[in-house]
Amino acid sequence: MAGKRSLIDVHEKSKGYDWDYPDTDPKYPSRFIIPKTGKDPFRMLVRDYVRMEEEKDARTYGFLDGALRMRVAETAEPRFMEALKLTLPDLTNAEFQAVSGVGMIARGIGNQELRQGYYAQMLDEVRHTQLEMSLRRYYVEHAPDPAGWDVAQRALYQHPGGHVSLALFQNFNTGDVIDAVINLNVVVETAYTNILLVATPETAVANGDHALATTFLSIQSDEARHMANGYGTLFAVLQDESNVPLVNEALERHFWHSHRGLDALVGWQSEYGAVHRPWAYKDQWQEWVGDDFIGSYIDKLTDFGVEAPTRLAKVAHDVSWIHHSTALALAAIWPLNFWRSDVMGPADMEWFDSHYPGWAEVYGPFWQGHAAMADPSSGRLMLQELPSLPPFCQVCQLPCIMPRPDRSEIRVFEHGGRNIAVCSEGCEWIFHRWPKAYEGRKSFWQKYHGWDLADVILDLGYVRPDGVTLMGQPSVSLERLWTIEDIRRIGFEIKDPLAS
Amino acid sequence: MSAKISVEPFGESFECADGETILDAALRNGFFLKYGCRHGGCGTCKVVMSEGDVEGEGSSFAISAGERADGVVLACSSRPATDCTIDVDSMELTEDEFRAGDQVASFEVELASLERLTHDTCALSLALQPPASIAFTDGQFVNVVVPGTDMVRSYSLANAPEDSDRIDLIVKLLPGGAFSALLESGLHVGDSLTLHGPLGELRLRLSHRKVLMVAGGSGLAPFLSMLRNLERRGRSREIDLVFGARTRADLYLVGELERLVAALPGVTFVPALSEPDDELWTGERGLVTEVIARRYTSLDGYDAYLAGPPAMIEASIPLITGLGVRPANVHFDAFVSSRR
Repeated sequence: MAGKRSLIDVHEKSKGYDWDYPDTDPKYPSRFIIPKTGKDPFRMLVRDYVRMEEEKDARTYGFLDGALRMRVAETAEPRFMEALKLTLPDLTNAEFQAVSGVGMIARGIGNQELRQGYYAQMLDEVRHTQLEMSLRRYYVEHAPDPAGWDVAQRALYQHPGGHVSLALFQNFNTGDVIDAVINLNVVVETAYTNILLVATPETAVANGDHALATTFLSIQSDEARHMANGYGTLFAVLQDESNVPLVNEALERHFWHSHRGLDALVGWQSEYGAVHRPWAYKDQWQEWVGDDFIGSYIDKLTDFGVEAPTRLAKVAHDVSWIHHSTALALAAIWPLNFWRSDVMGPADMEWFDSHYPGWAEVYGPFWQGHAAMADPSSGRLMLQELPSLPPFCQVCQLPCIMPRPDRSEIRVFEHGGRNIAVCSEGCEWIFHRWPKAYEGRKSFWQKYHGWDLADVILDLGYVRPDGVTLMGQPSVSLERLWTIEDIRRIGFEIKDPLAS
Repeated sequence: MSAKISVEPFGESFECADGETILDAALRNGFFLKYGCRHGGCGTCKVVMSEGDVEGEGSSFAISAGERADGVVLACSSRPATDCTIDVDSMELTEDEFRAGDQVASFEVELASLERLTHDTCALSLALQPPASIAFTDGQFVNVVVPGTDMVRSYSLANAPEDSDRIDLIVKLLPGGAFSALLESGLHVGDSLTLHGPLGELRLRLSHRKVLMVAGGSGLAPFLSMLRNLERRGRSREIDLVFGARTRADLYLVGELERLVAALPGVTFVPALSEPDDELWTGERGLVTEVIARRYTSLDGYDAYLAGPPAMIEASIPLITGLGVRPANVHFDAFVSSRR
């Protein structure tokens, strides 16, 4: 006991020291005034931390052996497993970007107490990456269709869905450190990880994947400390009134962007990657983002000048639609995917229209068409039915058909000698406020302008080991799979909708 | 026979004496649990009984049937029958707050004015004696000590938090009520009172939704505080305030409400009389539940706040959730008259 006490004393004393860095200029200067003193929100010795995480790791990794014998990967709903080929590498990308982000934050925060929390968070983020990679290894070895799992991270970064993930999570480690904290710790981890890491396991279990549920719940058990890091930092900087408008502007930006990226992809996995749906995504959002994050967390900070994002009502409205539009886009471009899409049958359609009244009118005809063209013998692709390809938003990278294809809020303008498209007023505001952060991105369509679709697929490398069968398919239940020759026969040429 | 009470998530335990409530024992042992009225009316002290058994009863309004099935009990009204483990996670206390003990303050106040609003409702303005300031949230209440007794009565503050040098209360006079009797005869401007607070979790939560406020009797007070606070802060929300009374003579502070409505764009005031005795009355007629059922075909996308007599709240909750308010977005203070 005496030994432990002295270790705590040493730990506390160590927080009284500050570090000297040989390079005193941070990569990105902060506009915020950061107090030198604060309160260590982590309050944990490394020894205790490691003991706790070791036990959690043992339980999680141990389950993978059980999953093997329970044939979890083989018996889970194929639709769920296929959608994961996009969303799990998306999450691993978030962890990678967060490892780098908390490194930047710890380096730049200039407050030894707060820094303690970010050091430990970096260990957490590395742990999460490892847990997810182990889960993916289990899938690649045991999933009935491993195609896509084998190349998932590389495939992700080439795919439009991966661009959404990159655009969102690179903000963790690019820019002002407090801005990064508000993005990572406050918006993504406090507002959204309950949806991502608590609701998704429920969906996983409902669809037979206990391995993912175990891994995600183990990850989520670390998130409360990351939320504490964010709260501790926010509370510290709010002590200086000049920081308040900066906090509000950062919250405005990241709340909108996180809504775009996360509500689109997590909503898609939750409903279109599921056969059995325990929740409607909009209800998850109401509970965790609407009630807990805005109604409790942000509410308590209003005494310090923090304000609800001005686009909150717009976000709450669009949450009912943008994942349906994302699903439509991802199914329409299925040959460019590295997972098998699926057909939405009568039971799916009934569920969607009863939970999202009006769904059938807007999206029903698309899914009927998708089903009709699922077999290679149809010789047709939904891409051919479109008047043109939808541009990708320069900020959030979603296709500009948001919130619904029949109510697109696309804006196109010229910037630096080229046409730029954004999906919404919110993304337009972000682009003009921080143009340097977004103007350099090249669009997927721009890269492949004038290419035959078959050559694009070959360039992406989204073909199976036989060299001809596509990784992407329009259905999980097809007996005959589409090949590169099926696509070449159609002769579809990519045309960048923004090309002048 | 005393019982051992273990408290999660803090891993702490204390002894609860025979006949003592869990709340009293926690506070006596120097630990803090959130509480309000202390007689089972407000629900602030809800905890989850994860092990053990208790005796005691809470108001049926403070705990829903679903919560009861999940093991929720009221710490202020529960006496342990065995050793118990309680989970106080839902109180959202930090460990520091839990270990700091009861920080709810006592205030000495002087009755600055006493105004009769209706035949059975009074407005009290209480001037704080040094230290003459109270920090509270619009929607909270205080416990007023009935002079010469150890009894307390809970009343919501009606003033805006910015007016921190005084406490305005609206008191419904109840036949046979201890505080009511005092107000009727024994209490005069200049007299001193003691009160504890502020207490309670009712507050106007930040949200993207519209707001339906339903007030009956003295339940107007927390909504007055909320509206006055919005006015002071130059903010407004889309709010419908339905204020139910029996007759026109039972409506009070209508002029003040109309002034607030004029100052706050988006706020609508809907007075409703269940027994209109005035033929010229052009407003809503019927119980507040009838008025709500008539005015709204759907309340999807609303937050609801209720304050007033328990019967009004009990009848309103199924109605408004049936019209689409999510159960988690129904917030209320039931003004259960004290049994002590």
